[in-house]
Amino acid sequence: MIKKLLLKNNSVLWIIAIGSIIVPFLLPNRYFQDIAVMTFLWAGLAVSWNLYSGYCNRLSIGHAAFLGIGAYTSTLLYLNFGISPWIGMLAGGVISAVAALIIGGTTLRLKGTFFVLSTIAFAKILEVMTVTSKDITQGSLGLMVPFQPSFLNMIWHGKIPYAILTWLYMLIVLLISVRLEKSKLGYSLIALGENQQAAENLGVNSTRTMMIAFVMSAVLTSFGGTIFAQYVMFIEPTSVMGMSNSINFILLAIAGGLGTAFGPMIGSFILTPISNLLRGYLAGISGLHGFILGMVLIVILLYRPDGILPQLRVLARRIFAKTDKSSKSKGV
Amino acid sequence: MEQILQVLISGILSGGIYALASVGLALIFGVVGLVNFAHGEYLMLAMYFAYWLYNMAGMDPYQSLLINLAIMAVVGYITFKVIMERVLDSDHSIQMLLTLALSMVLQNLALMLWKADYRNIRIDITNDTMNLGFLTLNTPRVLAFIIAIGASVLLYLYLQKTFTGAAMRAISQNGKAAQLMGINIKKTYGLAFVIGTTLVGLAGLLLSPIYPAYPTVGASFSTLAFIVVVLGGLSSVPGAIVGGLLIGVIESFAGYFAGAAYQQAAYFLLFILVLIFKPNGLFGRS
Repeated sequence: MIKKLLLKNNSVLWIIAIGSIIVPFLLPNRYFQDIAVMTFLWAGLAVSWNLYSGYCNRLSIGHAAFLGIGAYTSTLLYLNFGISPWIGMLAGGVISAVAALIIGGTTLRLKGTFFVLSTIAFAKILEVMTVTSKDITQGSLGLMVPFQPSFLNMIWHGKIPYAILTWLYMLIVLLISVRLEKSKLGYSLIALGENQQAAENLGVNSTRTMMIAFVMSAVLTSFGGTIFAQYVMFIEPTSVMGMSNSINFILLAIAGGLGTAFGPMIGSFILTPISNLLRGYLAGISGLHGFILGMVLIVILLYRPDGILPQLRVLARRIFAKTDKSSKSKGV
Repeated sequence: MEQILQVLISGILSGGIYALASVGLALIFGVVGLVNFAHGEYLMLAMYFAYWLYNMAGMDPYQSLLINLAIMAVVGYITFKVIMERVLDSDHSIQMLLTLALSMVLQNLALMLWKADYRNIRIDITNDTMNLGFLTLNTPRVLAFIIAIGASVLLYLYLQKTFTGAAMRAISQNGKAAQLMGINIKKTYGLAFVIGTTLVGLAGLLLSPIYPAYPTVGASFSTLAFIVVVLGGLSSVPGAIVGGLLIGVIESFAGYFAGAAYQQAAYFLLFILVLIFKPNGLFGRS
């Protein structure tokens, strides 16, 4: 029974994902609760990134552009017209979808390396545009969200409401990812990632499949951008659209397991707290924190490029194989 | 008119450095097949080495050139042996991520060791100018241009005229066939990687009298080098030289007509247009 739970489907991972909401309530102070919020948010963002890049194995290193679109759209609507960030979030999603259609339309058909480079270029162009349109975006000065707590403003006292919001965001993205994995679209996507030529020969419409996944991924990332803006309450072109954010999506996803629904979440659950704590404790030595994260990524890539999640599954299977030799479980 | 010409010449001079920074990337991509996102970081390291050699031993970047190039070659060799050699057969995404991680490590290492301060080398030649008719040119930039183009052309000749050069070209055309012809692939990969990092290091040295060193200085040159290389047809060394000059000129004119903030946007836009309409590069054959 337990074995079935552990191996047959994603039950354990769902339990971890849903149960994790207890954690912020147990944490002693705002500092640790902040880390919990960031962990949920980054988990959601990494799962969103993985939706396209992970499954079809084509890295988007410019995904922070969509984070930026989400953050800037809702914040600008809120600051200039008093429109609730909840609606702003949807508006950001629509703009992101349009942007993803334009970007995707021009770049998705490019071969691997060219695609990667073009995503960087698009993110850079958007960043430069945001910096230079000073009249609207305040350029590099950034935008401040005034502290007016209310549900409608997506602003609250304390961290707990944010923890619940980011946790819900993560769960929704996870649900979409899990559903995608089991859908025809998901299978096509994974097939494309493994061998595009072969998949196309078998009748997979590569452009359409990739486009749908790319737009989904962009929109979900953009939602995360709105939440990010309402939580941090200050956005600035580099801090939201900079390449370091895109790299962080990738770091979390690859640490947990690229192309698995729960991998990026596990990656965030492990790495975001470590990363934030390190940043806190090592603040005296600037650079050490980034240095350590880079080293972690190098070690993972050299020795465990599949990430942590597949390793855990192997481990679980091995434990059960000992107790029950006849196990023919195919695994999660 | 004179102003336009001045802008043009200024662009060409920068373009020489961009070309030199990019030929190494083209070589590494063509021969080793690696997309090296850490490429610019070697430029950054070279600038710091030049700065410290200047500060501690009193050698200006031109005097310390050879020592510095030797250091860069060693650094390149170590990276190749410790990291790159292990992933030569891996998936492209893994390789790209690895070089991204490497660039993150090197940038933060520089931040740790040397702080975020801008480090300038101010030597006599820094503000020297020479007059050519109505044109006023900054001497270190002219010097950098001449050495950069010289080195790039030398690399081209090396690839055309020597046996190892021919081996590299053979590998970039067809790795398996080259191996069957008895070329030691791993050794040639290593050599190409070392030449690549040394050349981008040289670009850093030539920049150091006119441009400050700081931890993220390489990042902008990495993206720039990628654009140049794509314009030039990815693995082509002459293509990278022309691409570098072209980007220099475009950047210069965008800065003159639209303002400094749009320089980057201009060449990224060009880059995307090229990707869409001529994915094999401006001069590439389809």
